[in-house]
Amino acid sequence: MRRQTLVRGLAALSMAPWTFDARAQGERLRIGLTAVILADQAAFLARWADYLSERLKARVGFVTRDEYQPLHDMLGNGQVDALWTCGYPYVRFQSQLRLLAVPLYQGQPTYQSYLIRSAGDASIRGWSDLRGKVFAYSDPLSNSGWLVAQGQFAAAGVAPRELRRAFFAHGHRNVAEAVAAGLAHAGAIDGYVWETMKRQGMGAVAQTEVIWKSPRHGFPPIVAPLGGGHLRLDDLQRVLLEMPRDEAGRALLEALNLDGFVAGSPGLFDSIRRLAQSVPGSGVAAS
Amino acid sequence: MLARLPYRVQIPLGLSVAVVIAALLVTVVAAQFSARVARQDRLATVDRAIALLGDQARPLLAAEDTWRVFALLRSTAALLPAAEAGHSRAAVLDAEGRVFAASDPRRLETGRALLGQLSPASDITRRRLVDGAGDAVTLIDPIRSEDGQLLGFVYVEVDAPAFAPDWAALSQPALIGALLAVAVLVPAGWLIGRRMTRPVASIARLIERIGREDPAVLQAQVPYTADPELARISGAVGRLIGEMQVRQQAEQRAISAERMAAVGRLTAAVAHEINNPLGGLLNATQTLRLHGAHEATRLQTLSLLERGLQQIRTTVAALVPQVRVEDRPLELNDLADVVALVLPLASRAGVELRSHADVSAPLRVPSAVVRQVMLNLLVNAVKAAGEQGWVNAVLSADAEVLRFSVRNSGERLDAAALEQTLVRESGNDPRGFGLWVCREVANQFGGGFAARDADAAAATHLTFWIPNRERHAIAAAD
Repeated sequence: MRRQTLVRGLAALSMAPWTFDARAQGERLRIGLTAVILADQAAFLARWADYLSERLKARVGFVTRDEYQPLHDMLGNGQVDALWTCGYPYVRFQSQLRLLAVPLYQGQPTYQSYLIRSAGDASIRGWSDLRGKVFAYSDPLSNSGWLVAQGQFAAAGVAPRELRRAFFAHGHRNVAEAVAAGLAHAGAIDGYVWETMKRQGMGAVAQTEVIWKSPRHGFPPIVAPLGGGHLRLDDLQRVLLEMPRDEAGRALLEALNLDGFVAGSPGLFDSIRRLAQSVPGSGVAAS
Repeated sequence: MLARLPYRVQIPLGLSVAVVIAALLVTVVAAQFSARVARQDRLATVDRAIALLGDQARPLLAAEDTWRVFALLRSTAALLPAAEAGHSRAAVLDAEGRVFAASDPRRLETGRALLGQLSPASDITRRRLVDGAGDAVTLIDPIRSEDGQLLGFVYVEVDAPAFAPDWAALSQPALIGALLAVAVLVPAGWLIGRRMTRPVASIARLIERIGREDPAVLQAQVPYTADPELARISGAVGRLIGEMQVRQQAEQRAISAERMAAVGRLTAAVAHEINNPLGGLLNATQTLRLHGAHEATRLQTLSLLERGLQQIRTTVAALVPQVRVEDRPLELNDLADVVALVLPLASRAGVELRSHADVSAPLRVPSAVVRQVMLNLLVNAVKAAGEQGWVNAVLSADAEVLRFSVRNSGERLDAAALEQTLVRESGNDPRGFGLWVCREVANQFGGGFAARDADAAAATHLTFWIPNRERHAIAAAD
């Protein structure tokens, strides 16, 4: 009896912090960020979190990872309440996700994927020139940093094994740096990220050049778990959509190199869905 | 240049230079030693970087995570020697020895087979150091899983320049130390040197005063020093001053004796100059006594006495400068007076005395000195003429020169013999003294006194001449 009591007591003690933490997290709105933006700018994220907290009347925090999958796992198990993800994982996990907002970039909720090479490397002019080359992808769940490249390799008739080597750089920015350093001869990168890096004068962009741009696809959206979730998600959507209306919001959007957010619709990502359906092993079944 | 500097500057300066040279030598040796140690340090750094890379890259290599291996290499390679200058680089190779990722992908291209160039990958079972060109090295270290499976290699290249000694940096601490040493030791050396040279400078100053100051005072100021060498110098200087004291005292005594001798000679000269006319004057008194009743003879004799006494007075005045006596120009009567004064001497000696005057211009020369000269020459000539000899005196004068020539018989006295006599007997022999006075008077008045070649009849022919001018005119002409 005593032993059972002791075991229960220890179990209760070990659960207590978790219980307290879970309650605290229930009040806090956690937003996951991935490589769709230049996420490792802590000062900017702090300002954005303050902005959102003030308007949501709730504490907002950002959780950053350089890969998509861990954040989708966290979204699935409730460790984050919303997630700024890519269009490809959205269409892949669309049945479990609710579309909260889609950013407006250059006035449209769309963006492009870029094929970049080291500046001045005339040996690479297109996808078919990448045989025997080292290629950098962004992330296995990135539309612009993997899926589009898979489609283009297939279209160019370049089999993955014909590349000398391919690797994931865990982020669009890293793709640019890998190509700039010569670690990879070429890479697939989010056009919005590349342009934003260029706008911010980052050195890696100066040492790379864009040799191909994809058709426009739906811009990486902000999603939340379908059904349930945080009580303030509707408010989050409203605040995001209203950001252009106040000066602080516009300043944050300016820093993000975005024009604003729209509610968006699943149909915006049809081009990604079709592309994923064409790529074997994409995880998106043909409808 | 250094040798020209004073001793009190040379020693401190030499000490300072010695300090600087020693500091520079220490700097050079220290830099050489540091250069050798620096290479070992750099290789040790490479070893530590390889160990770090091996540990950190193992899971990334197992996961085939090229980007994270690259990020690891990029940050770790900064630890390698001269990495910022591009002289060293690191890579992680896969199990086949191909570049998996490199810190400098442009030099170690991704996918390039590296180990095939050096040795088969399977041959490398432990860390290997491959020497390259010059001091360049390549290190290869296998990466293995915990159960020993080969996963890949850490590969580090370090170019020769990375090991090149940075002499400036290596020398800097030693140079700073040397400068500090110089800053401290040079003033100290200067002070010590000055202290060392102070006794030498003191002795030098004392030596400079020798001969200008009283030796007794100098002797009391000879510095005492404990240094044996300087003590020898001080002792020598002291002895030198002592000897100088003795010599100066001897000189003083000699000078005193010389003065006494000079007084004696002066007294003798005065006695001689006065004695010469005295004979004639005594004869005149005899004449006055015998023929004084005759008016003309009495007046003539008194006049002769007056002029003779005047001559003595003038002679005394010339020898005693304090006495001021007015002198008159020479007259023809003076020749007659002198002859009259000497005549009794000539008569006693049986010498025939003749005189003659040949004056074509007014006489301006002072009478006293010329009378003295004429008297001296005539007395000497009478004495030299010998018994039954003869003396012939001629006084001649024109507007320029007055001459008094005396020829006599007797022993011959030529120019050389005259000079010898003047030197040998000057001041001691009445005869010689008289001739010496003639020479002195002649020199004083800008004239001359010499022995001329005598004619067949005469044994000696002496001539005295001076300009026929007043004394002040002669002095002005000088």
